[in-house]
Amino acid sequence: MTTSTMTEQADTAAPDDDVAERLDGDWGRRALARLRVSRSGWLTVGLTVVLVVIAGGLSAALILSTGGSPSGSLHAVWTGSMANAAGWSTTLLNTAPLLLVAAGTCIAATAGTFNIGQEGQVLIGAMAGAFVGLRLSVQGPLLAVLVLVAAALGGALWAGLSALMYRYRNVNIPVSTLLMTFLAVELVDWMVSSPSILQETAQGSSGLASSVSNPLPAAGRLATTGQYPSLQLNAGLYIAVILTALTAIMLTRSRWGFRLRMMGLSPLAAKHAGVRVALLSGVALAISGAFAGLAGGVLLASPIGSNRLQSGISDNVGWDGLLVALVARNRPGVAVPVALLFGVLRAGGDFLSSTGVPYFLVDVVKSLLVLAFVAPPILIDAVLRRRASRGVVAHLPAAPATPEVAA
Amino acid sequence: MSAVNDASTILASGVRLTIPLAFAACGEYLAERAGTMNISIEAMMLGSAFTSVAAASATGSPTIGLIVGLLTGMLIGFIHGNLSHRAQINTFVVGLVLNSLVLGLTSYLISTNTFTSHQVSLLSIPGLRDIPIVGKALFNDRWPAYLLILLVPLTWWVVERSRWGLELRAVGENPHAADVTGIKVNHRRRQALLWCGTLAGLGGAYLAVGEVGSFNQNMTAGRGYIVIAAVIFGAWRLGRTMLGCLVFGLSDAMRLALPALGVTLNTQLLIAAPYLLALLAMLLFTTTQREPAALGQPFDRSSA
Amino acid sequence: MVPTTEQVHALQLRGITKSYGSVTACDAVDLAVEYGEIHGLLGENGAGKSTLMKVLLGLVHRDSGTITVRGEDVHLADPQEAASLGIGMVHQHFSLIGELSVWENVALGDKGRIDKAAVRAEIKDVSARYGLPIDPDARVDRLSAGERQRVEVIKCLRRDPKILILDEPTSVLTQAESEELFAVLRRAVRDEGRAVILISHKLAEISAATDKVTVLRRGQVAFHARTADTTAQELAKQMVGRDVSLRADAAALGLLPVENTSDADDAAPDERPAAVLEVRALTVEVGGVRRLDGLDLRVGAGEIVALYGVEGNGQATLGDVFSGLIAPTSGTVQIGGQRVEPTKPGALSDAGLGIVPEDRHQSGVVLDMSVAENLAMKSLGTVSGRMFVSRRTMYANARRLAAEFNIVASSMDTPVRRLSGGNQQRVVLARELSGKPKILIAAQPTHGLDVGAIEDMYTRLRKVAAEGVGVLLISTELEEVMALASWISVISDGRVTGSMPVAEATPERLGMLVGGEAV
Repeated sequence: MTTSTMTEQADTAAPDDDVAERLDGDWGRRALARLRVSRSGWLTVGLTVVLVVIAGGLSAALILSTGGSPSGSLHAVWTGSMANAAGWSTTLLNTAPLLLVAAGTCIAATAGTFNIGQEGQVLIGAMAGAFVGLRLSVQGPLLAVLVLVAAALGGALWAGLSALMYRYRNVNIPVSTLLMTFLAVELVDWMVSSPSILQETAQGSSGLASSVSNPLPAAGRLATTGQYPSLQLNAGLYIAVILTALTAIMLTRSRWGFRLRMMGLSPLAAKHAGVRVALLSGVALAISGAFAGLAGGVLLASPIGSNRLQSGISDNVGWDGLLVALVARNRPGVAVPVALLFGVLRAGGDFLSSTGVPYFLVDVVKSLLVLAFVAPPILIDAVLRRRASRGVVAHLPAAPATPEVAA
Repeated sequence: MSAVNDASTILASGVRLTIPLAFAACGEYLAERAGTMNISIEAMMLGSAFTSVAAASATGSPTIGLIVGLLTGMLIGFIHGNLSHRAQINTFVVGLVLNSLVLGLTSYLISTNTFTSHQVSLLSIPGLRDIPIVGKALFNDRWPAYLLILLVPLTWWVVERSRWGLELRAVGENPHAADVTGIKVNHRRRQALLWCGTLAGLGGAYLAVGEVGSFNQNMTAGRGYIVIAAVIFGAWRLGRTMLGCLVFGLSDAMRLALPALGVTLNTQLLIAAPYLLALLAMLLFTTTQREPAALGQPFDRSSA
Repeated sequence: MVPTTEQVHALQLRGITKSYGSVTACDAVDLAVEYGEIHGLLGENGAGKSTLMKVLLGLVHRDSGTITVRGEDVHLADPQEAASLGIGMVHQHFSLIGELSVWENVALGDKGRIDKAAVRAEIKDVSARYGLPIDPDARVDRLSAGERQRVEVIKCLRRDPKILILDEPTSVLTQAESEELFAVLRRAVRDEGRAVILISHKLAEISAATDKVTVLRRGQVAFHARTADTTAQELAKQMVGRDVSLRADAAALGLLPVENTSDADDAAPDERPAAVLEVRALTVEVGGVRRLDGLDLRVGAGEIVALYGVEGNGQATLGDVFSGLIAPTSGTVQIGGQRVEPTKPGALSDAGLGIVPEDRHQSGVVLDMSVAENLAMKSLGTVSGRMFVSRRTMYANARRLAAEFNIVASSMDTPVRRLSGGNQQRVVLARELSGKPKILIAAQPTHGLDVGAIEDMYTRLRKVAAEGVGVLLISTELEEVMALASWISVISDGRVTGSMPVAEATPERLGMLVGGEAV
């Protein structure tokens, strides 16, 4: 028997067992492990507050440096997002697709697959929705439902391709989903540039058509409660909230969620326990694609907007939704306020840009905020661990089973 | 002959488009051999493109702009390296955030500032440039392009033959074993990212003050991701990576040139080509051509 | 043993203390090693041997105490300093990088320009001098375990270390290879005047190969003597801190006498009970390599059958087959008389197979899930309805199993990561047995456990067998096999080379079978 660091600990007051799980499978799984942090507490909150203040300060400095007014910009963001019912309508309109993408990402991440192709899945979802919405002649709200279903299926299929590539050719999931995003952009662009497929019918006497599709018929658009500029909520928001709640419940309380969590934490142990890891992780990835695709459908069928498919329709909803999930540490419940925050930033940013300040500022603020939220738990954890095992320069690693090679 | 002329023009255009990719690819290759998956390369290229133009405009010297761009890339590499391999923040998160941050910053700054355009001078080698077909492509470029002649073999030699490169490869394949042998794993990875940033910065700067001469919003337009695709396509070997860059550069050139020549090839397909090819390469990989075993795996000293 | 005159020791440690939080790993340890001697460092897992060595190698900083090398006090701040002082270690695992070649691995710890020719020449030289043949250009991941160890030894010896440390070197070696290794060591020590510290928990090895022995217990030096002046019994007693009389203790400590004095019920071959597990001609080919080559096994109800062999001969693959991770290329597995398709999800479990896997940290438990969750893992149906898991049932179930299997944890919510090795293993065992299996596979079940936990495991395995469950014990520890099993099969190179009741098993016979020779 080989000397093993894992046994040098007593039952109770043990030095922290730093034996890491040797995670099998793709790099995404291993990278995801870094997001799991065991400690939280006042230190983390305190550091987060400090970093958020610094982020605010940097942003203000940036605005000042280009001759703008930080307070004016802040006021504009406030006006556009939270000052009145109209602002809230816009904020919530922006929040819904973000929340959908984030919830889906939580599912994939819990299962140990690192999907970073949400932007592409959103696009494909919108595309699928456009096909159904523009080609099917169905009356009434049924059309909207079909659009959304098609969108979800489209996103699921697109993500499913990555799952298949991993299953059969061991292609790394973060990389394939990333590459597929770029393919999605070109695919959609091609479709709306080809008259025979989805491009809009030529307008006017010149017969020019831009690279957009025809708008969805009214029956295909999402229902709403209320009327802009007083508070208007659309079906997309309700769907997003319900699905997020469902996700949270399923992940923490259901048998399926249990297996998913097992798989994400230790695929080998899950296999041992009889979980069909290959199938389940593929399903999780497809579901996260479905959520993203659904978000695309929501974007397309939005009550406010042109309802036309074009390659820019995803508008970074995929990327932002991914960031929401990362900030929320892959917890659906936490994703709700974070998605709301991002929604505020988007709505406020739109308003801000209408006052002459370029929208890009909001991107800067958003990135700094993400860092401010993501960094503290990891930093605190690392500092506390270092203090607990002071003086460890390097560990002689615990011996695993000897790899077997035919002599 | 018109066909030869056209071919020569496309080739020249392709090579021009390849050069920034090639610089950055040397850096990304280095980073990935060390086991770091670096998606902030887009930020490195874009950020350096901006600062090189800004510096050239401020000082009137495109060469200074080039150097400033190089340093900018180095700075971003430094930041990424420390956030990911010292502070241990998820490297994809850091990469995505850096990309978003740099895009936002540069877009904001270019929309609120104007710069005067400067370009580094052309270095045309007489005689060689008159070789049919390849002459204009290979020997009629801006002078920094010729640095590649040195850079590529140097990068190969450093990774495959030098001690630093041996340790780099060890760190990328099995960081725990490397650690036990006394190699400082995260230190090497930070160094790799630093060099990646420097070279990617050179690539971005070359794009801006070399080829285009000015900065446009989101100028690099995803070239960083294409570089990643090139490294994958090249199965983590430098020669094949350079080939990948060339293939992608050429396909881009064809996309731009063919419509004028009356050939209609699907534009979107050509834009998508690099990513398609990278995916195909990954699908067709055999076990002998695989990524560094520890690629993307964060290394924590106290985790056995 | 205090010298009356001041000797210059090769190495002297005085009062070395190292604590991790509230746990004292080393407590005022004194150790003196001379040139020309092989000094054994004996202690069970958790006694502090590996921490002491880490201090010596500059991997860990001691809290207090002095280290004197050749009469001079040294600090030992990092591995480079240790290397420059002539202290070298032959690592067991994870110091070789598979994707690089032998010569690149050897060159890895150096500084300065790489001189490929010089490194290769050195390898050939050391290789010849000590009788350790190896191809410098071979890729390390294509070498066998024994060959890899040769690379480790060469890597160490080429630095010309004055003080050599070997950490449990023979766990991956056959008897023959072990003897080769000790011959190399003796050459290094006697002919070249080096000092060797041999860390082991195997009493037989310490008795045979060392000149002096120091016993560590709970971080302190419990005993020190010339090997020739003491007995294995005494060493065992010092290692554990009490009289070792039970057969189980003896087995746990590697103390079994050479002749087999088995008093277990030895059934003659044709009187064995009905088979609960039958493996016939099992062949597994992975990537062109035959990991299992026509393996035959039979375990009867209530029997403990041991599959004994040196690590790396197919046991891990067999374990993977039983876990449903690998599909056999050919051959059959029958449980309770019914043929089972191993990779069909849940098939093995449904047929009545339970398995305590070899690497519990990877496949046995999910470290970051709670005790209750780990216990419920394989039988989710019993703690849940159609969709939802009932927390209450899960906890009740967990508490019941914890009581029955003596799992010590502050609460059922505690992540399994925080449990000791013994408790983690009990969680695995509890979970597997709660499914009422017909056959239990225990793969290296005592790997990395301390003596108390080992004894506990033996008791439970015997109890399980007494209740009519068939037990297949896959083990590399001869003493364990001899103590527990009623039938022993020997595995070598993926096949069973011999099979016999324990009464007919002698260490010599088993040793030859393990080496691949049919007897």
